[in-house]
Amino acid sequence: MSNQVASNRAPAAAVGVDIFRRYGIHLFLVILICASAILSPAFLSRQNISNVLLQVAPLGIVIVGQTFVILVRGLDLSVASVMATSAVTATGFGGGDGDMPVIVVLAIAVGLLTGLANGLLVTKRNVSPFLATLATMIVLQGLRFGYTQGAPSGNIPPFLRLLGSGQIHGIPYGVMALAAVAAIFTLILGSSTFGRGVYITGGGPQTARLVGIDADRTIILCYVISGLLAALAGLLLSGFVPVVDNWVGRGFEIDSIVACVMGGVALSGGRGTILAALVGGAILIVVFNVVLLLGMPIQLQLVVKGAVIVLAAAIYVKRDS
Amino acid sequence: MRAVSRSTFARLVHDRRGVFVVAGLIVALAAVGGLQSDRFRTAENVLNVLEQSTALAIVSLGQTITILTGGIDLSVGSLISLSSVLLSGVTDNDPNMIVWALIMVLLVGIFVGLINATCVILTGVHPLIVTLGTGTILQGIVLLYTLGPAGGMPAEFSDFAYGRFFGLPVGAILAVGLFVAVGTFLRHVRMGRYIFAVGDDPLAAKMMGLPRAKVLLIAYAFSGVAASLAAIFLVARFGVGQPYTGQNYTLSSITPVVVGGTILSGGRGGVLGSLLGVYLISLLNNVLNFMDLSTHYQMIAQGLIVVIAVSAYVERARS
Repeated sequence: MSNQVASNRAPAAAVGVDIFRRYGIHLFLVILICASAILSPAFLSRQNISNVLLQVAPLGIVIVGQTFVILVRGLDLSVASVMATSAVTATGFGGGDGDMPVIVVLAIAVGLLTGLANGLLVTKRNVSPFLATLATMIVLQGLRFGYTQGAPSGNIPPFLRLLGSGQIHGIPYGVMALAAVAAIFTLILGSSTFGRGVYITGGGPQTARLVGIDADRTIILCYVISGLLAALAGLLLSGFVPVVDNWVGRGFEIDSIVACVMGGVALSGGRGTILAALVGGAILIVVFNVVLLLGMPIQLQLVVKGAVIVLAAAIYVKRDS
Repeated sequence: MRAVSRSTFARLVHDRRGVFVVAGLIVALAAVGGLQSDRFRTAENVLNVLEQSTALAIVSLGQTITILTGGIDLSVGSLISLSSVLLSGVTDNDPNMIVWALIMVLLVGIFVGLINATCVILTGVHPLIVTLGTGTILQGIVLLYTLGPAGGMPAEFSDFAYGRFFGLPVGAILAVGLFVAVGTFLRHVRMGRYIFAVGDDPLAAKMMGLPRAKVLLIAYAFSGVAASLAAIFLVARFGVGQPYTGQNYTLSSITPVVVGGTILSGGRGGVLGSLLGVYLISLLNNVLNFMDLSTHYQMIAQGLIVVIAVSAYVERARS
């Protein structure tokens, strides 16, 4: 009898733990938001909320791409450089809406080529993702500086300005773009053959080959997705920042990786979801926002960020082992 | 018999190919530079290249050790910044304080390295993430301490950066001396061999009962103290510590290591390749300067060198 009770109870407890493991990060975001609202009344003001959402949008789009790359055991350090390059491209024309098609095509080309280069280096030359994407990052940076000769000049087309900073009924267009991107790629990851291939390849490239998945192609596609999304995020960000310089998007590579790690996307590959990674990104932005709202020195953001990186990673790794 | 000796030679060349490739590139670059400009060929220019490469050489030496253990140290840039502002902030133009400030800065380097290693050992998180985190924290601390140049150093302190010993730059002698010492340590001391073993195959090292924790503590503490030493040199050079002095060193300290043939997954490579890698990059920038090419092109050239280097040494397939 007592045996039966025990055996009945154990799964229930296990389910509870499982739910906590799976949704702990979401729960943490809710608690964080409640705590922030209590600590600072300004947090829930309309102005602040749309401000936070505007900041989430470009980072979120980069996070979606970064998730794909980390799922196949990679890492994309070149995203910030791609963002800046596509943002600089946006300023390279007359600044009218008529230039939009050219700008979009060029930005997509930058993202696509960088992603392809990363993917080929990682798969065909067996270069570690860290180095491959570091190298493309530096090359892109050099090309950008060579093109702008120091400082970009020119204006952003009004359409991008609207997309990056505008809103309708308090919901920024950028957030809608993020929602669309997140929905599409969650669908791809969850319900397509390619998506399943991503998880299997990340779980073990050997296994992937055994079940007939072209691991190399899957990995290259993940880097291409990351490059493309970074280029789009760069366009979005160019409409948000007051002035486009050579460093638009600086720090996004680190922030997007941190968001993924916090959201439980395993650096060892094969595990994690887009939604959880986005929640990780939201936590980062909210923490920064609160540090500012509470009037603490802005440098403290760095200390908090660093501590969050180590702690979040430690929690997940302990859990996994 | 001949076949055996030849294959041994071939393996030696293959194992150390980074060294040969980089040495060849240095000779080629020097030839190009020599043809480009008369001033390039002067002894003074060579000494300048050596002098300017000192800080990078010392940081890269530390980075080599952490990479050999299969890790990486991304906190060196922030640590250099922290050490520089502490050194000049605490000294504050008072010659009596220099010694204390130097000791303190070196201890801070060791301490940060020990923290990095402890986090890696206790949490099992990849060093990439751990040192990214600690580096971010350190940069925050630097900016909380000061937002601009802090304090200052007495004028004589610049001798460390610009002084000459028998006509050779003091810093360069120190750097080469450190490389020789560490190279000897890696080759002939048991703990040095452990560094390769732990990096090459952590599981095998564990099964053999090698003290992984001790190896990591030593490796990261050394990387930390190397970063602080580089910071001391940079402060001597600039006369004051600044909050962003080290920013570029995090990534640029990895380039020479990789170019020199040390594999990022650990266990293979060596310090000689890194030293030559440092000289190659410094020489490259020097040659591009003489060719009147702006820093933008130096950046492109550096990126291309990394791409070529990393695709030349195909890394071990991950099993």
